[in-house]
Amino acid sequence: MSAAARPGRAKLIAVDGVDAQAVFAAARAALAASTAGTPAGTRGGVSRWDASGIFQDLEVAEEEAGSPSPRTILLLYAADLAFRLRWQVRPALAEGRTVVVAPYVQTAIAFGRAAGLPATWLENLFRFAPRASERHVVAARDPNAAAMKEGFVGLASAHVAGINAPARKRLITATETHLRRDRHRRPRGRGGRPTRRAPP
Amino acid sequence: MPSAQAALQRARRLARQRFTDPERRRGLLVAFEGPDGSGKTTQRKLFKTWLKSEGYDVVTTKWNSSDLIKPIIKSRKAVRALSPEEFSLLHGADFRHRVEQVILPALWEGKLVIADRFLFTGLARDVARGLDLDWVLKLYQPLLWPDLVFYFSVSPVTSGKRVTATRLPSYYEAGQDITDVDDPVESYQRFIARVIREYESLALIFNFITVDAEQSIAEQHRQIRDLFIDGQQRPWSAWNVDAVAEWLALDKRRR
Repeated sequence: MSAAARPGRAKLIAVDGVDAQAVFAAARAALAASTAGTPAGTRGGVSRWDASGIFQDLEVAEEEAGSPSPRTILLLYAADLAFRLRWQVRPALAEGRTVVVAPYVQTAIAFGRAAGLPATWLENLFRFAPRASERHVVAARDPNAAAMKEGFVGLASAHVAGINAPARKRLITATETHLRRDRHRRPRGRGGRPTRRAPP
Repeated sequence: MPSAQAALQRARRLARQRFTDPERRRGLLVAFEGPDGSGKTTQRKLFKTWLKSEGYDVVTTKWNSSDLIKPIIKSRKAVRALSPEEFSLLHGADFRHRVEQVILPALWEGKLVIADRFLFTGLARDVARGLDLDWVLKLYQPLLWPDLVFYFSVSPVTSGKRVTATRLPSYYEAGQDITDVDDPVESYQRFIARVIREYESLALIFNFITVDAEQSIAEQHRQIRDLFIDGQQRPWSAWNVDAVAEWLALDKRRR
């Protein structure tokens, strides 16, 4: 029997954190643990941020275009997440596979909270994202390490804080604090609420 | 973060002072809204020329035009890669970036900003694509309300005739991503009828000034001038305080 015929095995695992390398290592470990014993080729995979290439495009933008604010960055992150859900996550879940989404919603919400954005706006923004059946938050080894540059929080904070290095460090540290504080908190009941109406 | 809260409170006070100072000509935001083919752009250009002749310092901003986000949207539209949510979120990002980089700095300096399409375009198109109005509206928070919104009202038939007279509508303009209709002209007719329905609901909710865009160009222009002269006396909307304060706080942090 193929995995596609066993949709009950489908699992969405969220791995969040500011340290990109640690998050990816934890994502691979979570996938291995969750799919141990299942045949190769039916195990699913890891969905990493910027699969849509939005942030790659942002990196090559001219300086005169201006730096995006935390809100703008989070709108772009949400667009990238919508892309990942459409092309990577939902198809895999429909085939009964496990998908580890790293990072998922909590990293972005913690970044937004650290930047001073209202929780209600952040919750609404990610309303389209389904609830994860398992959540992991990975602590950063050193929030100021070079590894941060590879992750969403590292890149986002570099844009927002501009050339001001102390402000960037503060933002990364505050994001890490929000993530740790909220790691055991259940997401409020809005995740996965449809953003579409019935067809007219 | 108490210091961030205190900074926001200070920014709110500063915003109120600046926009309600009787000694200073305050910035004005005028939005032109309506379906494609309603003649908004023609009217916007005529209006701008007239305003300049009256001594106003005028800045124009167009929908989906930020240097940062527009290329991202354009490349994805070209390969027809956007779902309704992605379409909505990227246009929301473009709008937010223009609010922070173009619109608020100009208003702060006492300029008059003409927006050729504003957030209502996002609302009408996204809801016509089947998205939930409440979700889309909140993406645009903190909301920045224009002093005046001119809504150029035309029928779906007129819009269709004007748009297709010289060219075929593009894939997303025709709403082919949601209609499943292969013919762009037929798809446009179906999609624009939905967009106009949403616009008309928004016009009632948000109190737009409706301009009958089936009238002659000269008549519409005269009407807009008269309505502007009356409307510019309106007091600054206190609803805008959060949008201005957030921008001020952000700008200060950047410096």
